[in-house]
Amino acid sequence: MKTLILAALAATTLGGAAIAQEVRLGTEGAYAPWNFMGDDGEVDGFEIELGNELCERAGLSCTWVVNEWDTIIPNLVAGNYDAIIAGMSITDERMQTIDFSDNYYPPDPSKFAQAAGADINYDDLSGIRIGVQGATIQAAYAEQNFGENNTILSYETADQSVADLSAGNVDVVLADGGYLAPIVDGSGGALEFAGPDVMIGGGVGIGLRKDDDEIEAKFNEAIASMKADGSLNELITEWFDPPNTFPEE
Amino acid sequence: MLEWLTAALGDDVGFWVEYLTNGKHLAFYASFRFTILAGILGAAFGLVFGLGGATLRRSGFAPLRWLGMGYINVVRGVPDVLFFLFFPLAFEQAVEWIIALNACSAEVREAATRWPPCAEANWFLGTTEYLLLASVSLGLVYGAFAANVINGAMNAVPRGQLEAARAYGMSRFQVLWGIQIRQMWVYALPGLSNVWMLLFKATSLLSLLQIADIVLWADRLGAPNFIARVGLVHGDWRWRYYLVLFIFYILVTWLSEKFFKMLMRRAGRGILAEAG
Repeated sequence: MKTLILAALAATTLGGAAIAQEVRLGTEGAYAPWNFMGDDGEVDGFEIELGNELCERAGLSCTWVVNEWDTIIPNLVAGNYDAIIAGMSITDERMQTIDFSDNYYPPDPSKFAQAAGADINYDDLSGIRIGVQGATIQAAYAEQNFGENNTILSYETADQSVADLSAGNVDVVLADGGYLAPIVDGSGGALEFAGPDVMIGGGVGIGLRKDDDEIEAKFNEAIASMKADGSLNELITEWFDPPNTFPEE
Repeated sequence: MLEWLTAALGDDVGFWVEYLTNGKHLAFYASFRFTILAGILGAAFGLVFGLGGATLRRSGFAPLRWLGMGYINVVRGVPDVLFFLFFPLAFEQAVEWIIALNACSAEVREAATRWPPCAEANWFLGTTEYLLLASVSLGLVYGAFAANVINGAMNAVPRGQLEAARAYGMSRFQVLWGIQIRQMWVYALPGLSNVWMLLFKATSLLSLLQIADIVLWADRLGAPNFIARVGLVHGDWRWRYYLVLFIFYILVTWLSEKFFKMLMRRAGRGILAEAG
């Protein structure tokens, strides 16, 4: 009986290798231009195009799952999807729980955005309200460096922190430069960058379960091939302004 | 068909019609089904738990009566938001624990530092599962209120009538069904209509359970957008979308009032003078 089950199992596994392996990609859908809900109601963005291309190169059959940011790691570990492609920076804290692929977006300075003309002393921040998205590298950084003398407000989505910045409920927002740049550009002069750039994180990679080495290897190979033929830089240039591309080798 | 509108309001109308019928908005409109379904299913579960709770509460057998009293008093005291978060999670983990007993080996279970102990024991909850669990949660919370209302209504039926019915030679069951329960609805309906309205308002919590419901979509659609490639560039429009939700909930309240009035007329036939 046991052998029969084993044989059946082997047959399904071997059979499965012939058709493309199914991989579910988890994303947030609220972090333009990385990933967002398009006008057609489906996820769209830099990472959606990237993820689809990576899957094609790796011979995987991929589907997208939208999951809120604050539970995106626990739900990966629990197996609700197999990979996180959601603008997630590679950090040591996260590496304790999950693995990351090689980065597909180079380390990007985080920036402060403020209402145009606001008078804030960035050399010695005190008594101001700083908006961040919860469970991000910026949230950890702000808590650590500015937590004592300022109020840190953490939001479920980055969009909410920007909405509250426009509404005057926070004084500054600290977020990825690549996320803030189009917002500041498009705000018609209402928002501006200020203060120093802050380097945190080791670039953006695909989050994976620790035991999924096979998928990790496939993604790494696909990322390397996109870096090598220049298509990754092309995609970055297409979606980001100013583009933060990988240096030419 | 919209020509007179365009003439009256200008070319903007075409643009707005298109904007309000794009895929994102259609998904928003479609998400109303989750709210309505959770409300109706929740009410059905609530009525079952309410009748069950009231029956237990009125049982002649003391342990059952205590169970009924415990249910009514404990669950009424817990905030619905908390219960909403607690029940589905507890239920999911209980199921996973049972699966894990078979699916994961004993060593893995004891050494496990994560939940579930092995990947095979993971129970994936999609929107359908969460919607069902949400409905059961709503039913459990508001069933406790309904049980209290029904219990009170049963007590409100005049004792003299019950005794008179017994004296006429009706059986215990005939008295319970034909006299007490038949008239109980008249006393219970106003209270139950309150419970229903509270229950329906609590459906705005669905997004807590990863359901892309109307509140989540209102948040998404209303969030300011500064990037032309993402869609229409606009400022913080959340209040406009919240206003749509206000109107929806008020509309449901108004329809519910009509519905309960009709029910009251039916239940009150031969009992209430104004019901005819």
